[in-house]
Formats: sequence, C-alpha cells, structure tokens
Amino acid sequence: MNESKEHWLAQAREGNAAAFRRLVEPHTRPLYGLCARITRDSALAEDAVQEALFNAWRHLPGFDGRAGFRTWLHRIAVNAALEQLRKRGRHRQESDTADCDDDFLEAHVDESSGPDRRAIGAEIHQQTERQLERMSAIERTAFVMRHNEGQSLEEIAHVLSMNTNACKQAIFRAVRKLRIALEPLR
Amino acid sequence: MNPINDNDLILYYYKDGLDAGRLAEIDAALEASGKLQARYRRLCEMLDRATEAPPAPAADLEQRVWSRFEQRVGAAAGSRSSAGLIDWLRGILASARGSRLIVAGGFACALLIAVGVGYQVGRVTPPSTVLETPLEARASDRNMANRVLDGYVSGHLRATEGLLLTAVNEDSGEILDGNRELARSLVESNRLYAVAAARAGNVRLADFLRQLEPVLLEVANQSATSNVEDRQGLRDYLQRSDLLFQVRATESRIDVANKRSL
Repeated sequence: MNESKEHWLAQAREGNAAAFRRLVEPHTRPLYGLCARITRDSALAEDAVQEALFNAWRHLPGFDGRAGFRTWLHRIAVNAALEQLRKRGRHRQESDTADCDDDFLEAHVDESSGPDRRAIGAEIHQQTERQLERMSAIERTAFVMRHNEGQSLEEIAHVLSMNTNACKQAIFRAVRKLRIALEPLR
Repeated sequence: MNPINDNDLILYYYKDGLDAGRLAEIDAALEASGKLQARYRRLCEMLDRATEAPPAPAADLEQRVWSRFEQRVGAAAGSRSSAGLIDWLRGILASARGSRLIVAGGFACALLIAVGVGYQVGRVTPPSTVLETPLEARASDRNMANRVLDGYVSGHLRATEGLLLTAVNEDSGEILDGNRELARSLVESNRLYAVAAARAGNVRLADFLRQLEPVLLEVANQSATSNVEDRQGLRDYLQRSDLLFQVRATESRIDVANKRSL
C-alpha cells in the first residue's frame, strides 16, 4: 500500500467517510464484477456491493493489515454476495457430492481447430453460462474466487468456512459441471 | 507414478493444492504425453471460456452505490449519536437532585438539544439548491453544534474564573457561602460540558474541563469555617498550576475561534 493509501486508510479508520470513499472507490467495479459472477444477477450484485461497502466501513477498525486491503475487501464482498443469495432464497445446495472418477476431458482429445469448432464457439459460451447458473452458490463462489480472483485454496476455505479438502471438492464439482458446455464438441 | 486425473490437472492449472513432487510429476508427464497435453489444453480452454463477459454494471453504478453508502453512514451516525445522548440525558435526569443541579441540567438539556439538532438537521433538511454532499452537510451541522457548545463553555469558564477569584480573595462568610453553592452547580455543569466536548471530538477542551473539576470540588467543599490559611492553600495551588491564566486563555481562544467561524 503506498503512502497516500496509508494516509486515507488512517483517516478512514478515524471515522472519516470521505477518506474511506477515496480509498475504496477504485475497487467498486471489481467488487461488482466479483459479486456479479457469484450471484449471476446484476441487481443482487449491486446490493451485495452496497452491503460490502457498509460492512467494510463498520469493520475497518478491525482491519489488522495481515491480509492485503484488496483481499480483505473482496472477502467481505464474497460474504455479502452469498448473503444476498441466501436472502433471496436462491442459495441452492447441490446434493451431488460424489467425486466422479471418470475423466471427462479424456473424451475430447481432438484438438483440431477447424471451422466447425469455431462456429459453435458462441453456443459453447451460452452453455457455459447456463452451467455456471446451475452450480450451487458455494461451488460457484469457490470457483470464482479461485479462477477469477486467484485466491488460494486456504483463503477460499477460510472465507467459506470449510476445510481445504471440501473447498477443493467444490471447485472440482464446479469444473465437472462445466463439462456440459463441451457436449457440442462430442 | 500415480495416474493423473482431472482433479490433478485442475489443481495443476491453479498451481495450488499440490506438493512440489506432484507438480514435477505432472510437468514430466505433460512433456512425455501428447494425449495428456491435449486434455490439459482442453481444460485451460474451458476454464477461460467460463470467465468471459461478466454481467456489465450500469454506467452510474459508482454514483448510486456511493450515494446510498453516504446516506447509510449518515443515518447510522445520527441514530448512534441520538441514542447515546438520550440515554445519557435520561441518566442525568434520573440522578438530578436539588435546584442547583436542575439549573445545571437545564443548561445541559439546552446544550444537548442544540448538539442533537445539529446532528438531526442533516437527516431531515430537504436538499438545498447548492450542490452539497451528505458528508459535507453533516460536517456543517457538526460545526454548528460545536459553536453552540463553545458558546456555553465560554460562559461556564467566565463563571469559573469569577468563582476562583472570589474564593481566594473574599473574606465575607456570606459571599463565600454563595460561592460554595455556585461551585457545586459548576461542578455538575463542568462534567456535562466535558462529556459534551468529548462527544464533539474536542479532546483538548474535554481534558481541560476535567482538569478543572478537582478545584471546583475543593471550593464546593470548603467548610463554612475555613480560615485564611485554607484560602492561602488554594491561592498557592492556583498560582503553581497557573489555572486562572489557563481558564482565561481557553475562554479567549474559544471566543476568537467562534468570531472567526461566523
């Protein structure tokens, strides 16, 4: 964190809301992107960002600087996004916890990049979107945090209050569900 | 070597959750096997597609989000201040005994109402035509509340100065009796103003007022039969601590600051 950010952080800690805004405003859109990926809904994402900002403001005195400020903010935003999903009754827990042994990627070894394959690119994208939609909130959040945010398994496990192994399984399940997007390639 | 399954490849892609030995094994296997390379490439493509094009935010996202944030912060601070002040006032009124204390409580009530109004105005005043953010509006309300506090404290310090001068210079028993009564009421109001100053964030003034309290107590508790030696002790203390000078200086500083801010 550079000197000016340190300055704004110190001011914000003392209750200066304008300083807090200076410090956090550049993170607004990235936070929205994160919440939108988790909630798959722009209105829920905006509400989640709103809650995240207010929670960050309230808990700023507890920010001990051990994690980076961005990581800390994103952690709060993830929880706010999950809370929004819970509130709207859209928190779907998938019962599919079995770890499938078959390797779906093995079925797709033809790597030729022909015109047929390019033509179905748009369809693949839509399928992918649908599959992301079908994931449980935990699977999608674990996947988004790992894939989009680059968070470590330990960090994700901490945020989602699960152990590292369960966190891995959530990511595996998320990836497995995405294989449906590859069906058109069969 | 253990067979490499999809889960291994996923963790390999993220370079997380695998120890160095397993990572090296997968490196070597990828170099040796075209089939495994193809599987891995497929995984990478799929993951990349999965993160394309998140929902686009509205153009005025920041404006909306931060405007609501400021309103919430303002409302939270206002309700906290009001709740705190009301609880405090309730405690003061519950413990109020005697006419002097009621007078002090009356001053405190007036001050509290003024401070409270300062906080509330920002929440209920309709938007002015001047472009003022909620934070700026709250700042000006606080300034107003602080000026009201300063006005009361300035009067309190003038009364304290007179009290101390009387206590060290007067010999008349009747005047000293009245002075003790006055000291008792000033002790109460001094406490209230110290708390109000602390609440308004004026730590320096709050500390100074707290520093005054033992002297006010000393005057309030002087016995009716106090003699010249007793008064000499108080005089010495005031001289050593330079307290009278500090009272005048603080009073003058508050008056100057108030004139400047008008």
